Amino acid sequence: MQIIKHKTNIDFIGKKRPALFISSVLNLAILVGVAIFGFNFGVDFAGGTVVELRFDHPVRAEEVRGRAQAAGLHDVSVQGIGSSSDNGYLLRLGGVTQLTPESAVTAKQALEGLGGITNLHTDVQNGLINFRSAQKLDADKVRQAITASGTGVKEVRDLGAAQGGGEDYQVVASGMAERITSAMAKGLAQPDFKVQRVDYVGPQVGNQLRNKGIAALLYAMVAILVYVAFRFDFKFGPGALVAMVHDVIMVSGYYLVTRREFNLTSIAVLLTITGYSINDTIVVYDRIREEMHRYKGKPLPEIINIAVNDTLSRTILTSGVTALSLIGLLIFGVGEIWDFAMAMLVGIIVGTYSSVYIASPLTIWLDERAARRKAAGGAMKVRAA
Amino acid sequence: MDRGHVGRWLLILAVTLGAIWYLIPTYYSFFVLPRAQRNDLKLLQSKLPRWAPAASHRLNLGLDLQGGIHMVMRVDTQTALQKRVERRGLQIVNYLKDQKIDGVSYTSDPERLMLTLKVSDPSGLERVEKELKGFEDFARVGRTADTLTYQLKDTQVSRFRDEAVDQAMLVIRRRIDKWGVAEVDVRKLGTDSIQISLPGQQDPEQAKNLIGTTAQLEFRMVDDKSTFFRDLVAKHPPEADSGIRLVHPNGYEQLEGKDREALLAYARQGVPTDREVLLQCVTTLAKKGACDSYLAYLVERTVPLTGESLATADYTRAQTSNNFEVNLSFDTQGGVEFGKLTGDNVGRYMAIVLDENVNSAPRINERIPNGRARITLGSSIGKTDEEMRQEAENLVLVLRAGALPAPVITGEIRQVGASLGDELIRKGSLAATVGLGLVVVFMAVYYRNSGLIADVALILNGLLILAGLALFGATLTLPGIAGFVLTLGIAVDANVLINERVREELANGKTARAAVDQGYDRAFWTIFDAHVTTLIAGFILLSTGTGPVRGFATSLIIGLVASLFTSIVVTRAITTYFVHGRGAQVSV
Repeated sequence: MQIIKHKTNIDFIGKKRPALFISSVLNLAILVGVAIFGFNFGVDFAGGTVVELRFDHPVRAEEVRGRAQAAGLHDVSVQGIGSSSDNGYLLRLGGVTQLTPESAVTAKQALEGLGGITNLHTDVQNGLINFRSAQKLDADKVRQAITASGTGVKEVRDLGAAQGGGEDYQVVASGMAERITSAMAKGLAQPDFKVQRVDYVGPQVGNQLRNKGIAALLYAMVAILVYVAFRFDFKFGPGALVAMVHDVIMVSGYYLVTRREFNLTSIAVLLTITGYSINDTIVVYDRIREEMHRYKGKPLPEIINIAVNDTLSRTILTSGVTALSLIGLLIFGVGEIWDFAMAMLVGIIVGTYSSVYIASPLTIWLDERAARRKAAGGAMKVRAA
Repeated sequence: MDRGHVGRWLLILAVTLGAIWYLIPTYYSFFVLPRAQRNDLKLLQSKLPRWAPAASHRLNLGLDLQGGIHMVMRVDTQTALQKRVERRGLQIVNYLKDQKIDGVSYTSDPERLMLTLKVSDPSGLERVEKELKGFEDFARVGRTADTLTYQLKDTQVSRFRDEAVDQAMLVIRRRIDKWGVAEVDVRKLGTDSIQISLPGQQDPEQAKNLIGTTAQLEFRMVDDKSTFFRDLVAKHPPEADSGIRLVHPNGYEQLEGKDREALLAYARQGVPTDREVLLQCVTTLAKKGACDSYLAYLVERTVPLTGESLATADYTRAQTSNNFEVNLSFDTQGGVEFGKLTGDNVGRYMAIVLDENVNSAPRINERIPNGRARITLGSSIGKTDEEMRQEAENLVLVLRAGALPAPVITGEIRQVGASLGDELIRKGSLAATVGLGLVVVFMAVYYRNSGLIADVALILNGLLILAGLALFGATLTLPGIAGFVLTLGIAVDANVLINERVREELANGKTARAAVDQGYDRAFWTIFDAHVTTLIAGFILLSTGTGPVRGFATSLIIGLVASLFTSIVVTRAITTYFVHGRGAQVSV
């Protein structure tokens, strides 16, 4: 069986201008879009709390949202997960602790009401309140005072006697996850749901994870380029790099447009795409290199066109087969895994496109430019003589 | 067949058999052991046949697939450092008073970890500065007519940070040990974080107790005169297989046992109301961190002194006896209490208890009046120098953990319910099967016999990935399954490249054998380059990624290596075998 016959003769290189133009515009639009709208960062990067609940009876999303709002959680995002018979919902909140800038103020007032409190510092990011008291305090009293002011307390720590007299304390606020589950169960004798999953990522950890992810992406690009430069002629490097950047931007565009959550798995997708993109490009380059040896003297654009045509069936087939293996994930995958498979699919399609329409034309363009320079340089020399 | 071919077939056979062999522990852990005990390595090892690989070479399920809690805790060293600077300020002023320099006061800058000393008489500044040469952890950073400013040295800050993380880890390990959870992983992450994995753990409350509360250090008196344990053993002899027995390692009666819960339940029968039984974890150097056995102590219920009064602790090596010594000093109030406690109890033993675990119980040789105590670690026979040094270090760590605990903040919690995990395994393996099935059917239809050969390679590839994961004792996560599926796609990729090449060569009028040889030769470097570039991405993911991403990277890397082997060696051997004869056909 054959899908694409051998010896096609499509003039890919002739269409390089419109292709390059459209791609550049799209890429630029995505970059501008990212700058303006930004990604929908998941808790991995933005920090926050995600709770996955499964109800034991059918519940509508509005009802879940209503319960949260009734308990004072206004900025919780509710999203269904799995098939509708699962009654599963993802509840997401930006904060990780119950200490917010507003509740910190009331907690502070409540503490000062105890008398003899000095050196009071609140750390909203980590949900901590540090303070010094002139005399030893009863931990339960502190807990009650702060809980009454509207902030759940996980622990009151006695940090020991301060050197200048008095006692140091630290109050750790409860996490958001507890607030969500207690809000959902409010007014019920028995919770009608089970907590399937809790993800909680502190803001500092989130930033760390994001920076590490971006660094990994850059390292990978550089390392792959070095390898390509080492294995192929150096003039192939820029083409491969641009194709790789193009693919990464296009897949980012997928996350931008669909507003799908951008998280650690997305970074894994982008990294795989860089590998895959270069993979595809190499198949074409490899053939160009081979044809260059065979048809010495033929102009590069013609050689490239032959190479692209010759490898067309395998370029399409390899992408097609890899895409085929993702179909199972697309059918049965839920949540993050479905996102992974979908983004990979987008990456495979743009990766195939870019190795034909971006990487090769760029190589030609660079080659022509180098030739013109050389010619110009030669002319200068003649004039000088 | 010539010799090269024989070698190739032997290699394929060896790899295939090796892969099956390495999957034996995985098979046992999933299909022989009951579900609840899947993580029990000891049990698995006892069930495995003698000739099988060690139980540690088994495919582990990630927390997302079997349920459990993953946590990252950040140690708030800044708060502890600030307290330390303040404490140091007071120590310096007191020291100067001892040296007959009065009128010195101090202020501290907690943000920059600085201390400023102010003298009432500017002419005394020189002498103060000279005296302070001994305080080596601070560097002088500023000076005016009547003030001296010192800052904690960077080397001290980083040393302190390391210590604080070690202390927190020690506390967490001890607490986990108390629950008897078998497969817990506690490791340092970066400079100031601790990562804890609790597979199968469902109770977030318990996890919170692990890290939520600060460590409690107590000094309590051992009841060395009581015959309670001896009477207990005489009255209710412990069951023969419990391994509980009466011992005298420290000059008084104690109970020893291998199982924490059993020993505690046994030893606590009929304890007098003013006494309590606490356990000590006995470790050996060979099994670092894990408890080899437990020793029960009978201690008084009253707590005369807690870690709050402790100011500093460190260890040195005694010049005369070559033994290690741990030095502690108490704050003023604590020093008075400690003096009274030691004076009343000369000749008795004082247990150092952290979080209800006895760490050691030194003998009080004399009254210690000035709040500066020295614990000499006995040179027990059979202990190496390194073991003794570690013992001293460990004691210091325990003392400091109780004296100046660095608060621990939750950085990250990921908790997955067991039922969700089961569902994800089901869906994940279904997705992998469907993906694999589609690819297998496509290859067979599109490339006919060559496609079937590629399918054989593909299935072998799947086997090799699983065996590879098992060999490295790697963990299979949900992203790992995705990586597995993707690698199968890439493996097929390689076969497509080869078969397309063979078709081209055939179209150019080559014989079947020549077309196969050329096809493989020409496709080799393409496949190699394509795999290496993806491998680069995989290794970078592995080295920089955390948690879920690492699982993906592991299966990707193992899959790529397996794919190189199956596409280049295996399919070639099979195809060559079929086109070996004269006039043979190749069906592509």
